[in-house]
Amino acid sequence: MRASTQARPSRRRVLQAGVAAALVLGGSAVAFVRTRGYDLPADRALQAFAPWQFIVVQHAARRIAAPDRSGDPSIPGADLLDVAGFVDAWVARMDARVRRDLRRFLAYLEHLAPVAAGHRSRFTRLSPSAQDEVLASVESSSTDLLRAGFDGLRSLVFMGYYRDPRTWSLVGYDGPLIHRPAGGWK
Amino acid sequence: MEVTGAFLRGRDLGGDLSLDVDAVVVGTGAGGSVALRELARAGLDAVALEEGAWLTSRDFDQREDRMLPRLFQDMGGRSTEDMAIRVLQGRGVGGSTVHNTNLCKRTPDAILDLWGRKYGVAGASVADMRPAFEAIERDLSVTEMSGPMRNANNEVLREGCAALGWAGGPLKHNRVGCRQSGYCELGCTYDAKENALKVLLPHAVDAGARVYSDVEATRLLHDGRQVIGVKGIARGSEGGAAHAVEVRARIVVLAGSAVGSAALARRSDVPDPYAQLGRGLRMHPGAVVAGRFDRAIEGWHGIPQSYECTEHLSFEEGSDRRVWIVPAFAHPIGAAASLPGFGAAHMTSMRAYPNLAVLTAMVHDETSGEVLAGDDGRPVLRYAMGESDRVQLGKGLAACARLLLAAGAREVTIPAIPPRRLTAVAQLEALDLSFVRPHAVPLTAVHPMGTLRLGEDPRTSVVSSTGEHHQLRGLFVADGSLFPTSLGGPPQISIYAFALHLAPHMIARAR
Repeated sequence: MRASTQARPSRRRVLQAGVAAALVLGGSAVAFVRTRGYDLPADRALQAFAPWQFIVVQHAARRIAAPDRSGDPSIPGADLLDVAGFVDAWVARMDARVRRDLRRFLAYLEHLAPVAAGHRSRFTRLSPSAQDEVLASVESSSTDLLRAGFDGLRSLVFMGYYRDPRTWSLVGYDGPLIHRPAGGWK
Repeated sequence: MEVTGAFLRGRDLGGDLSLDVDAVVVGTGAGGSVALRELARAGLDAVALEEGAWLTSRDFDQREDRMLPRLFQDMGGRSTEDMAIRVLQGRGVGGSTVHNTNLCKRTPDAILDLWGRKYGVAGASVADMRPAFEAIERDLSVTEMSGPMRNANNEVLREGCAALGWAGGPLKHNRVGCRQSGYCELGCTYDAKENALKVLLPHAVDAGARVYSDVEATRLLHDGRQVIGVKGIARGSEGGAAHAVEVRARIVVLAGSAVGSAALARRSDVPDPYAQLGRGLRMHPGAVVAGRFDRAIEGWHGIPQSYECTEHLSFEEGSDRRVWIVPAFAHPIGAAASLPGFGAAHMTSMRAYPNLAVLTAMVHDETSGEVLAGDDGRPVLRYAMGESDRVQLGKGLAACARLLLAAGAREVTIPAIPPRRLTAVAQLEALDLSFVRPHAVPLTAVHPMGTLRLGEDPRTSVVSSTGEHHQLRGLFVADGSLFPTSLGGPPQISIYAFALHLAPHMIARAR
């Protein structure tokens, strides 16, 4: 006997309905705006995300993995490590259900979270400090699934960042023992 | 380790596969490997189907980003339906025994007594189970981890226990030739784990069993009274469905974990007249506390978990001490995900990585969840932590903080939002622990169990004390889904031993 999850609405479905309703109520302008102004380099081939989703991830990654020492050349940035590219490739391999939830969360982050945090522009058009405010507000949201969505994105970004040997010296990690280069991991 | 002969990769099948055998085992972890071995040694024609890949020590490269998707269900991203608890489970030949940290504990005597007395499990008393435990411990070379095997993170726990006068002690492990690399959770490059992959499955293959990897069982075949076999899909090299698989057998042994086995049974319309299938999910949900020390700990070096604190753990029914504490260090990706926050503040926290010691409190849970089959056939884990377990979790995190401070930590962090940072016991005693709840504190579970549980009464159990399904003849279970309650500790020895204990019944039915 297959027990369907449709027997009672899950919290995930309630969130989905809420986000969808908010986007619709935001009017066609949201859908119109969402597809414009997101320009990717021509040589960027995406696997899981639409261009606008990828750019949201890029902006989020720059803030989630922001350096703690301004202008320090020893700290690689999220763009240098192509964290967003890593996340795109990783998400392409994930379960379809999870991919769908993440895309919905990115829509929330881009269009609704700024409004909830008192800003007028979409996330990718905010200043870095304003983006930090938005991320902090989602991180501490009273809605469990929004906090879970943020934590999921955060984990993916950190995976994309700290997977790279160029970050290991920042945290004093000497890296795997096998295939270790003669001069250590760099 | 070179294993040849009857290990077959689904991606190498030239076409659809159709087999008629005596027994088919679904899953090749602790329970499946034992069941397969015993069936093969009994002279039966036995095959195993494993949805994941067949990887060996040569494939384990100690890189988190590469091994997570290869060794874990859902690439390490499996969670409960409400996303409150991350659930880490193995995937691949050897199952969770490939990535686990080798902890070996028998089912506690009080738990076995409880199962017999309250849950109607016959023939599994302490005395009944002793031969199986002893045999498995011999097969897996289980030994106690002595002082020299203890890394700095574990020493912190020992020092904390000693300073507080709390109960604790060394753990037993199934490892031989360990290089203490610290990369146990990403598969052992040095082939030092005496586990299903290295020991039991080669035994099974030597006895004539065939193990098919990359083959996902999609449906149990039955006529409502008797099992007929299993249908499945063999995956190609890119992961897509390549060939159909059908295995007809006199018996089917479900050994795909409390999540996989229950989901497969539910979507296969296995008879369930008393609505017991998939219920009773326990998981040992846990959370971590990090302590920052002046001295270097470098917890990623050395054996991850060799010492335990049992001060807050009792197996007596109704006890309010239900927390098990062990070290829980992670490599950088895992550590970054475990530490709270983001941005510059988070990077500053990560710079303290070499000076961190991390402990985890796992709850011997009473919450009863459920595994369902979603509309797409994939497992759905429904688990809402009860108040009693939530209180235990809070007590456990407080105990971890106290241990770390007693061992000399300058500051301890409980990774909530906002994080709770403490530098003195007095602050801990003044801390209101009501903030400790799902979604407010990151939770992880690594021991799902209980969804196809043992018992003589079909109204309150799924399989009889022989491990055979109450209504479906020839369907057996040999994984953690057998257990009527939480174990309160690492389950692998219990799973291995119960599979061995129940194997004679499987053999008798298959003949």
